[in-house]
Amino acid sequence: MTTVSILRWPTPNGLPPLPVVVSLCAVLGAMWLTASLVEVDFVRLAGSMGKMAAFAGHFLVMPDWAYLPELFDKMLETIEMTVLATAIAIVVSLPLGVLAARNATPHIAVYRVVRDLLSLMRALPELVWALVFVSAVGLGPLPGVMALALVTVGFMGKFFAESIEVVDHKPVEGVRAHGAGWLQVRVFAMLPQALPDFVGTVMYILDHNLRAATILGLVGAGGIGYDLVMSMRLFQYDRLILIALAIYLVVTLLDRLSDQLRSRIIHGART
Amino acid sequence: MSNISRLQPASPTPTLPPRPRNLFPVWLAALLAVLWLIVRDLEISFETLAYGVADIGEYFSRYREPDFSDLSRYLELMGVTLATALWGTMFALVVAFFMAPLAARNLSPHPAVYRAAREALNFMRAMPDLLLALIFVAALGLGPLPGALALGVHTAGFLGKFFAESLERVDQGVYEGVTSTGANFPQLVMYAGWPSILREALGYVLYILDRNVRMASVLGLVGAGGIGLALHDTLRMFDYGQSAALILVILATILIIDYASAWLRRRLG
Repeated sequence: MTTVSILRWPTPNGLPPLPVVVSLCAVLGAMWLTASLVEVDFVRLAGSMGKMAAFAGHFLVMPDWAYLPELFDKMLETIEMTVLATAIAIVVSLPLGVLAARNATPHIAVYRVVRDLLSLMRALPELVWALVFVSAVGLGPLPGVMALALVTVGFMGKFFAESIEVVDHKPVEGVRAHGAGWLQVRVFAMLPQALPDFVGTVMYILDHNLRAATILGLVGAGGIGYDLVMSMRLFQYDRLILIALAIYLVVTLLDRLSDQLRSRIIHGART
Repeated sequence: MSNISRLQPASPTPTLPPRPRNLFPVWLAALLAVLWLIVRDLEISFETLAYGVADIGEYFSRYREPDFSDLSRYLELMGVTLATALWGTMFALVVAFFMAPLAARNLSPHPAVYRAAREALNFMRAMPDLLLALIFVAALGLGPLPGALALGVHTAGFLGKFFAESLERVDQGVYEGVTSTGANFPQLVMYAGWPSILREALGYVLYILDRNVRMASVLGLVGAGGIGLALHDTLRMFDYGQSAALILVILATILIIDYASAWLRRRLG
């Protein structure tokens, strides 16, 4: 309860809350100290505005319509990689999630080990894994799918475990009182309660994977990213604008879709 | 699950209601069919993957001996990466601070403003940060600054959306109370909006900082400075010892940030 009063604002004495002020000062100090590292230079920034405008001007070209079928292929590949990686991740992270939930794990040591394993898996970004996998299995969508699946197992397993940990204990006891075995308790008492959370998690992960899949091509791991970088390097702005538009469209569509699905799940059918 | 919940209490008539149709197998079959088609279309061959497992094992064994001889340089690069993430996050915070109240349905001064702000945030969110980094590198030249800007623009979309949704969830009475004192829009935002979501907002900022550290460590791939560039170079030169050391440095930093932000979030409640 103390944290509630610490963060209350406006405070009784009319000043902003002390912890907020202190942490803001700390952050500003850190920014001031690191400004030279990041090479922040507002003069240069202001001076490059003209360059930015000139760059934006490049996009005012007639899009290369002949590129559309190829773009469609690449975008489809991106979406397919997303779906496949998410499906693989769901299959792998369901059992891992059960093992990593404090109330469902067979032993506390297993819980610790699986938790640490999951945080290791999600520690490195997809792109680093993709770099490594491309070197290991060659170019193409396969290393991309592997990298996406690996990282999202780390995230999804953690989210699944957390939603299993907050299930109501009474149905679990009820099912156990019927003489259900270890697995039956988990499948018939815990998972059904956590299912709405699971669906929300899967939508979030799908969204995350789609965004990640659009850039994996940068290191040769399939998807639209390769075309994106190539048209950038070759100054093919007529293609670049189509690619950027396609990414925007697909990401926005999924965003809307998952927003609607999530609000239907959270607030019940039809809001 | 639905079978159980739809069971009726015992009725006087002996006939049971029709068993609800369980469409789960149909959906599962359809999903599997789609996945199979995807695997066919992507030309992923699990046979080669299975045969390649030995190769992959051999490949990973090359990373066995991390070469930490250049550690001080790596740590410095990691420092640049962390600073890039921090600057990007603060940039995003500043942008989101001004955009979020406009993009909250119940606070926005006008529906048209609400729509425009929402769409702007959507657009920022939809552009991948690596694409933005490519663009900023082209305009500003190499270095960490374009990386920080790219992270800032991209995550401002996320933070703005999160903040706006939190502002929409605030009890309407709080807003009415402050409005009834004659507060104008900025006062309403400063005295009713932000104070009510302060803690949630801090949680979101921590999450975004966490995410930006991860992304900043790969932004180097497109020339936006930091440790990613070094990793890219060593991988290109097949220098597995140094690559392993770089990966370990990134891994350690991210794990430390992970634990620190988990601890902070617990402290915040």
